[in-house]
Amino acid sequence: MNSIGGPPLFFLEFGDIMIYFSPYTVALFLLALVFTVLAIVSRPENQVEILFGTDAYYGKEIDVPEMRFRRFMSIACGLACMGAMVTGDLFDFTLFVSLVGICNVGIVAAVKTKHVQNAAFQYGIVALTATVPLFGGAAIAAATTGTLSMIALGSGLAGPAPFITRAALVLGVMGEGMAPFYAAKAEMFRAPGAPYVIMCSFSSLLIFLRVVEVVLTI
Amino acid sequence: MWNAYSIGMAAVLATGVIAFAALALERDDLHRLLLIDLVEIPSLGIIALLGTDLAEALVLPGLVVGIAELLALSHIYLLKEGLRDRPEGYLHIEVVEIGHAPAIIASLLVVYGIILSGFTGGGIAGLGVVFFFMAKGHREDFALLEAAAGISWGIWVASFFVFMFLPEYWYLAVMGAAVGILLKVTAKMSLVGTMWGKPHE
Repeated sequence: MNSIGGPPLFFLEFGDIMIYFSPYTVALFLLALVFTVLAIVSRPENQVEILFGTDAYYGKEIDVPEMRFRRFMSIACGLACMGAMVTGDLFDFTLFVSLVGICNVGIVAAVKTKHVQNAAFQYGIVALTATVPLFGGAAIAAATTGTLSMIALGSGLAGPAPFITRAALVLGVMGEGMAPFYAAKAEMFRAPGAPYVIMCSFSSLLIFLRVVEVVLTI
Repeated sequence: MWNAYSIGMAAVLATGVIAFAALALERDDLHRLLLIDLVEIPSLGIIALLGTDLAEALVLPGLVVGIAELLALSHIYLLKEGLRDRPEGYLHIEVVEIGHAPAIIASLLVVYGIILSGFTGGGIAGLGVVFFFMAKGHREDFALLEAAAGISWGIWVASFFVFMFLPEYWYLAVMGAAVGILLKVTAKMSLVGTMWGKPHE
């Protein structure tokens, strides 16, 4: 197969669904794994705000259930990311990407502040509309070439996927990977609960990196 | 050039354009939430245009993802608007005389559903269970329903593992998957309509 990410080192078969590890996907998978482990072991931070021009400061209280929920969401996000990095099936890839989108919505929405909730709602709408090009692109590839396997599409057995599939995939990943934009819009990086927001940006970066490989392969 | 696939694709794309235009023009958050459901339809339509067994297998995860995101979004909407459960949520329907519907109708539906098996059977059997509960009043045992749904889902997944790793026992797996999906859809169907009413702990 003409693999842009180097020759596949190892195949893992689940029926007709093939997971493949090329040097590129292995690197991305390990990154996702490391950051998931970091999300598991890292301890949330308390936030201290200093009033400008004075010596006064106040600490923000974060309750444990909220932190627990956000940690769960970032771990789920990491797992979905790992799946999206190594899968060799086009539809599985779109499912994992939309799962990353849902988890990012959950990470953003766990902060109980009005403007953060607003941003989370807008991001959720974008993420949900982005599933249309994602699933649509994968379905058009299946309808025109008869297969969803990236390996078959890449080897030229089933012919390259139509241009509209690639365009739709990139568009869909752009929609799902919008999380850092909305996190910045909601000033999430100043909101309580520091370590878990990283997973938003990180998962978006990873799915962008992977979709480039997918689009160049199929 | 204009075969069934491209005609269907043109129709789906027209639907998509209408849905996206509506979403772009709408300013109210609640209405946008409702329109999102409309936007989901074209994506399911494109998948369904495959017209094979694969389409059926792909529509299901697409639908699940859509519903999961819709549930999450509606929860965020409730939180952000500060909406809470209203104190009264009962439907006020005046019934002249409360009489129990014969359980034979419910049992007939359940038996017919079991004979059909699979998705359709689950739907019909679930309808029978819903009918039984509606006739007898609200005394659902949520824990029992959840347990049944969980166990049947376990059977379903186990059958798929048999398909993958022990393909020679496919007949057992087919039966397991059919029973699993029947119980699961039945349990899910009998939950329909329990959302209104008193908030359950």
